[in-house]
Amino acid sequence: MLHTENLTKEYDGQRALDKLNLSVESGDIYCLLGANGAGKSTTINLFLNFIQPTEGKAIIDLMDVSKEPLKTKEVIAYIPENLNLYGELTGLENLEYFVGLSGKKYTNEHLSDYLKEAGLQNSAHRQRVKGYSKGMRQKVGIAIALAKRAKALLLDEPTSGLDPKASNEFSELLVKLSNQGVATLMATHDLFRAKETGTHIGIMKSGVLVEQFGTEDINHSDLEKLYLAHMN
Amino acid sequence: MLRLLTKKELQEILRSGQLRIAGMIVMVLTIIAILVSASYYQSIQQQHEEASHNERNVWESQDDKNPHSAAHYGTYAFKPKYPLSLIDQGVDKFVGISIFLEAHKRNEAQYMAAADQTGLARFGELTPDFILLFIIPLLIILMGHDSFTREKETGTLKLMKSQGVSLRLVAFAKWLGVFIPITVLTLCVFLVAGVLLGTLGNFGELSWSGLLIMMLVYVGYYAIFTCISLIASSLSKTSGIALVSLLAFWIISCLAIPKAATNIAELEHPYPTKQAFDEAIALDKSQGLDGHDPWSKAAKRLEEETLKAYKVSSLEELPFNYDGYRMQKGEEHEAEIYFKHYHKLKDVHNAQTGIYRKLTSLSPYLPVRFLSMSLAHTDYGTHWHFSDAAENYRIELQKNLNNNFADNSTYGNWAYKADKSLWADIPEFSYSPPELQDVVKQNSLNFAALSGWLIIAFAGLFLSTKRL
Repeated sequence: MLHTENLTKEYDGQRALDKLNLSVESGDIYCLLGANGAGKSTTINLFLNFIQPTEGKAIIDLMDVSKEPLKTKEVIAYIPENLNLYGELTGLENLEYFVGLSGKKYTNEHLSDYLKEAGLQNSAHRQRVKGYSKGMRQKVGIAIALAKRAKALLLDEPTSGLDPKASNEFSELLVKLSNQGVATLMATHDLFRAKETGTHIGIMKSGVLVEQFGTEDINHSDLEKLYLAHMN
Repeated sequence: MLRLLTKKELQEILRSGQLRIAGMIVMVLTIIAILVSASYYQSIQQQHEEASHNERNVWESQDDKNPHSAAHYGTYAFKPKYPLSLIDQGVDKFVGISIFLEAHKRNEAQYMAAADQTGLARFGELTPDFILLFIIPLLIILMGHDSFTREKETGTLKLMKSQGVSLRLVAFAKWLGVFIPITVLTLCVFLVAGVLLGTLGNFGELSWSGLLIMMLVYVGYYAIFTCISLIASSLSKTSGIALVSLLAFWIISCLAIPKAATNIAELEHPYPTKQAFDEAIALDKSQGLDGHDPWSKAAKRLEEETLKAYKVSSLEELPFNYDGYRMQKGEEHEAEIYFKHYHKLKDVHNAQTGIYRKLTSLSPYLPVRFLSMSLAHTDYGTHWHFSDAAENYRIELQKNLNNNFADNSTYGNWAYKADKSLWADIPEFSYSPPELQDVVKQNSLNFAALSGWLIIAFAGLFLSTKRL
């Protein structure tokens, strides 16, 4: 579902991403680990077509992102680190708005169902988002992905700043989406969550994918050791 | 899609407490300004009606007297107030409201309303045009400065872009989000003003089409300010930078450029001093015919020409009173001199207006200011129009009086007295300002400048979205 072919990005001659080749198939949760500046967010931004690659391709559902930016956006959902949404609008209105931008229209009942499915309490649906916690906002983000019927999910450090309970709830939602066949690419610093939730892990260093393996092939302790070895 | 985007923008703006308060303050200020203006203009209009009526009574109450004495006795031409001056009082307070009409002399308008005020008036007044020209653009800046920067700061712009929405459409929706509430506010202001003007009986006939055009001019002005606010927001990294940039633009375009334009216009095309102007007229007068001086060279030449034309050898043989005839010829000569010198003043005024017009490319305020004043009949152009109308009436009045003197008496008979019915037979001065279509025609360059600003502002807005 999500593929890269020698994906490279340079800023003023400096390589932020160097010939990245990765594949995330339907139902996979691919966790990208790495220090700040390793190229995780750059990879996600290239999939979103926010920036143009210097070389190579980012491919979503067999479509080249650079060539068909609008079509590829129809099949993806994106949740940034800080999903602030519009504070003066309710959760329901935010969902209606973002889903509407992708061309889909639902009744309020349907939208409420998606919010419920994403784990947001009924009482919060008609509250203004400025009173939401970060966890609640991330749930609206998941509801957007659900309502949009996204085939792929791009997450940029979505659990940073969440308390363990909220983080766990979020992981459960990802697994649920994965079981529905959604491909997820998640940039994260959370080794524990990556091992528990992910199906695959990639470690990036200075724009290069230095390791990638299945989460079942490694335990928590070895993952931590391997990660720290690449950080030094 | 546009509906969805615009609905969200309107929801955000209407639910924002700060903007609700700011909008309400502007609304209250506007209503106060309209009511204060209405009360002021009602009182001025009443004074005008009373003064016109009283002055006509004074004129008609003259006893039998020599027409030339009546010409020196004089009368007044009063400049009427027009309904739209309630919205824009323009230069009315600074140009005088009445002109004394007498023999041999063209007087300037006197009794400026500004002269009756204290020095505190220098700080300005709360008038509808002040709110429309200065305060509402500030409200637009307040509403629009963070339209894009807030989205950048909170990350919603990225989320929005990830949905594949066209940023031009987003920009247009944001424009509508600011423009619609502002247009509703403007519509309310003009509607309240229109209803008020329609119900104030002594305010003259309200031109609804004039009111509509004036409203459209202001709406165009706000459309430009909305575009500029959004451009600044899309190009700025933070809301603070956008706000400071826009306030700087407001200060430059609404305050600095108009004042600089006045200085440049005065520097490039200065008006003569009052002393120089009077001296130039006196010099020209001294070189021509003075109706009161039968011994001057010009008077002697006229005498010879008249005798020759009527084929008589003495003034007594003429079929009219030569004294009255000479007075009229003197008037005609003096009127020409006044027209010549006032024409020079008008040339200076036109040259200064030309400077303002050139500077309209630097500020959208300038064309709107001029259009608003013209439509309200409170600009210098209308004042000149009134001044010329008063002068033409004065010339006609003098002609009537001199002809009466010449036709009904004999040469040397300065004791002749016209019947007092003559005063009432002379029609009262009445003034009609330029027609709306003429005002629109005269201001075609201002309309063009406003349209130019509008096109450039929209183009700028759509181009600026490329940077998002």
